[in-house]
Amino acid sequence: MMIQAEHINFYYGTFQALKNINMEIEANTVTAFIGPSGCGKSTFLRLINRMNDLIPDAKMDGTLKVEDKDIYAPDVKVDELRKRVGMVFQKPNPFPKSIYDNLAYGLRVNGVKDKKIIDERVETSLKGAALWDEVKDKLNKSAYDLSGGQQQRLCIARALAVQPSILLMDEPASALDPISTSKIEDLIFELKKDYTIVIVTHNMQQATRVSDKTAFFYLGNLIEYDDTQKIFLNPKEKETQNYITGRFG
Amino acid sequence: MARRKLAIVNEKIAETIIRVCGWISSLTILLMVVFLFKEGAGLFSSKQVEDGYVLAVNKSNKVDHLGVENIKDIFDMEITNWKEVGGEDMDIIVFRFTDITNYVSAEQLGADFENLPQCIDSVLAANAGMIAFFPETYMPENFSGKRIDGDNITLSSFFAGTEWFPTATPAPIFGILPLFLATILVSLAAIIMAVPLALSVAIYMAELASPKVRKILKPTIELLAGIPSVVYGFFGLVVFVPMVQKAFDLPVGETALAGAIILAIMALPTIITVSEDAMRSVPRSMKEASLALGATHWQTIWKVIMPYASSGIIAAIVMGVGRAIGETMAVLMVTGNSAVIPDSLLTPVRTIPATIAAELGEAPVGGAHYQALFMLGCILFVITLLISLAANKIQSKKK
Repeated sequence: MMIQAEHINFYYGTFQALKNINMEIEANTVTAFIGPSGCGKSTFLRLINRMNDLIPDAKMDGTLKVEDKDIYAPDVKVDELRKRVGMVFQKPNPFPKSIYDNLAYGLRVNGVKDKKIIDERVETSLKGAALWDEVKDKLNKSAYDLSGGQQQRLCIARALAVQPSILLMDEPASALDPISTSKIEDLIFELKKDYTIVIVTHNMQQATRVSDKTAFFYLGNLIEYDDTQKIFLNPKEKETQNYITGRFG
Repeated sequence: MARRKLAIVNEKIAETIIRVCGWISSLTILLMVVFLFKEGAGLFSSKQVEDGYVLAVNKSNKVDHLGVENIKDIFDMEITNWKEVGGEDMDIIVFRFTDITNYVSAEQLGADFENLPQCIDSVLAANAGMIAFFPETYMPENFSGKRIDGDNITLSSFFAGTEWFPTATPAPIFGILPLFLATILVSLAAIIMAVPLALSVAIYMAELASPKVRKILKPTIELLAGIPSVVYGFFGLVVFVPMVQKAFDLPVGETALAGAIILAIMALPTIITVSEDAMRSVPRSMKEASLALGATHWQTIWKVIMPYASSGIIAAIVMGVGRAIGETMAVLMVTGNSAVIPDSLLTPVRTIPATIAAELGEAPVGGAHYQALFMLGCILFVITLLISLAANKIQSKKK
């Protein structure tokens, strides 16, 4: 199992954001988290690379394993974990540096100094994110000169450059136009071969298009988790049914 | 209806008052600057020899021009022979008009000194090597001597002059280089000391301190900015001056170093708060992007937050420099007030603001000294103006 969650409870101060979540995610699959705003899907996603550590007053119990290791064990180095679990955020967030430096950043902070290796990795990552052809002639230009969709693919490439095994995506296409969105979706389909992908999305069509499995969160509970086909065609729970047919959310 | 009309009238009145206030304050500020420059500019049209006095030599003397330094050296008895200043080999006899009684008797001067001008004239005529300095009111009719008034004070003698003797008679020397260099030295040393400290505190507050610590620390540091500078000066005088004296085994502890330490402390709050604000305004998404790539917190601070906040940090430093350069009281108290070109941090110095504060009270209004001090004010104004322009430029570049 790539990711294994057992009895996860999560609190922001006194507010319980996740209630007894149990979930298993297999390698080389795309899993979509859906649910209305505030349902806990992003919170759960951010537990997987311990991004929630940044939030003061937050508390978690339960066990969360990545590649069969408890990532909340005291001896775990957070920065090592985050190298294996990459993340792409809702809004494109390239650094105010050149395209090349954006990609090299993750390698440099991990101690890679050899320019040849960096050059190589920059190229493969950009190719992996289907951005190479568009930027190969302007690697030294600022990342801010790119369009929003290109910036987001740059962020994906940046995450790929450190060679993670899992890629977390927090509504990666919500700030993009339809064409850029479809490019990202194609990309996700491609990346599935090499990575385990977890994607949070508000867009139901997107979930059906890209994911193998879908998890529906509601009010901090994991209501239903199954094959995407089943969730959308034949949901077991009434809440899921209501949500995917647009009755609330 | 009537009430509505009244409201409109009231609004109009309020608006007019506000408008007038705005204009008055803007004009006041502008006029102050104009006044500053007007008073200062007069300096370059005044003679080197003190206004209202005459400097003269025997008419047989070949020397008809003397520089201010030479005049000062002659009257300080450091030059005693005319050949040193380009004249004949002849001893210099310095004559101040109060010396008149050494040459003539009280009867000759007359009961009301009515013969004084004539006596001065005859004494000067009788001594070929004499240089006489007397008030213009005692200028004899048909003066037989040769006046040496010197040139106007020039820009170059003011800006590049290495000596500052504003009260030297007969010719004060206004060379601001020692003051200017002292200002730069003390401010620079202060900034070099303050910046690493301030940035450490800013990083600590922005990134490492718990919200609770930050909540206490930030107002405390802001409070530091509100302490009157004379209190800082007092503190420096009692604490740092003896410390510097002991540490370097100096005859006096009032040195550029003591001033720099005090200024560094005074610049801290500005640099800390402004750069901390800059660091905190780095978007969370930048920080998260870095952490998500496996960077440690320290790498994130160093490689993402600091570069992102760099323009704010530079602006903070520039503002700290501005504060250091303009600071008067504390520096006046601890730097030892000696207007010589500093050769190290351990010499007593005197900065431009300290000079103005210390000397303006004793400078006669409208005189050359007074004008020179105003000119110093102008220089200070220009320096701080340039600094704040630079700070604005750097800050706006970001947006």
